[in-house]
Amino acid sequence: MRIIVQTKAGTFSLDCEEGDNLLYAGLKSGLSLPYECATGTCGTCRCKVMEGDVELQWSEAPGLSYVKQEKNETLMCQVRARSDCVIRVPGDVVQGDEGPEFFSGTLENFKRLTRDVISFSIPLDRPMDFMAGQFCVLETPAVQGGRAYSMTNHGKGVEVLDFVVKRKPGGLFSDWLFDGGPENAPVSVFGPLGRATFDPAEAKNVLCIAGGSGVAGMMAILEQGVRSGHFANHRGHLFFGVRGNSDVFFADELSGFAEAFPDNVGVTIALSDEQPNDDLKARYPHLHFDHGFVHTVTSDAMKDRYDNMVGYVAGPPPMVDGALRMLVLEARLPGADIRYDKFS
Amino acid sequence: MTNWTKVCAASDVPENELRKYDIGDIEVVVANYGGGFRVFPPFCPHMFEPLAVSGMLKDNVLTCGKHLWQWDLATGEKHGLSEKDMLFYDCKEDGGEIHADLSEQLTYDWEEEDELDDDDFFS
Repeated sequence: MRIIVQTKAGTFSLDCEEGDNLLYAGLKSGLSLPYECATGTCGTCRCKVMEGDVELQWSEAPGLSYVKQEKNETLMCQVRARSDCVIRVPGDVVQGDEGPEFFSGTLENFKRLTRDVISFSIPLDRPMDFMAGQFCVLETPAVQGGRAYSMTNHGKGVEVLDFVVKRKPGGLFSDWLFDGGPENAPVSVFGPLGRATFDPAEAKNVLCIAGGSGVAGMMAILEQGVRSGHFANHRGHLFFGVRGNSDVFFADELSGFAEAFPDNVGVTIALSDEQPNDDLKARYPHLHFDHGFVHTVTSDAMKDRYDNMVGYVAGPPPMVDGALRMLVLEARLPGADIRYDKFS
Repeated sequence: MTNWTKVCAASDVPENELRKYDIGDIEVVVANYGGGFRVFPPFCPHMFEPLAVSGMLKDNVLTCGKHLWQWDLATGEKHGLSEKDMLFYDCKEDGGEIHADLSEQLTYDWEEEDELDDDDFFS
């Protein structure tokens, strides 16, 4: 199908393969279409269908609350073309050379990290280039719709993607991951996606605030900051929120980052539900532990230390909102220096 | 000719706070930015984000919590990442009350009725 995309910056034309939604088709063709979650939640990829016939995939998508469906507005990530179409897209759109693509892979190397967190890997059919902080959308024939997960690794020519996922109560996809025994299950992978990326060339101090599996992208950012030597002359702070002592994961890896640049890298694990126990503190002398909500702990620890800072935020929506509020109102970081993903 | 309608008492909106009011059929948000008040439609001009819920106000700057678009309420100009202007109702503080001219409802393009020619959808 031929899709015509009308924007303020001009009109673009692209081929849409059978089964691709309009967002993925446009991104694949190199168009910088507006999007955030790519999975129907945030509403950022809204468009207006001017001509042609489209089919809505998930009629309950929360992001549809941001569009007027009676005026033919819809979400590009949730519609497939049933004919040639003309759509209008708001905002600045430019034509780039390349975009994300579909890859195929298999799930393997499952490890249970805590009672409700697992890590796993996906070897791909061909290598992928992606930046620290990016995510992919995973799809399986076993569950309708895709789910967005951030990679804990990064790089050029990466052959195996690494993920960490927290179980979402009642979530069909996470039930499938946790209970379905999907070792070696085939998945389709669309990516890389996301603009909450890290580039050492920006020469900024780094503040990461994460809740639960939101730490995934932060692992990639800190690893790159350590490996590239960025933290030899820039500060890196991670504040990682979990509920209790038994919910802490990645402590060995995080301790490794702190040990690599002890003067410049600080990692604090904030427990929302209880005091950190002595055993944890004794096992990880290079990590800090605190009791409280992660954005409150961050606020107390970071007062007046926000110079030349870029902030990354990821986690459950209430935590992300609290952290964004803190970065805007207290840290006074400009919007361009605050990068975030809202999982839901 | 300006048609002033009382929206609220000035003391109802503390400094750096936002409050939403229903005045007849029109919903407005009142912001107290310290140097004065602004009265505007309840949503971010970008998307359908309720500013009285997720908006943040400090040092004259209003930030929408959805995509961090910002506006300087003292000047009315856009700030930072913002790509669109906000619309404001004329307003004044009079005898401890905030009054606004609500004779014409202000809407952003995606709220407009004219659906085939709303070129503003691009902006």
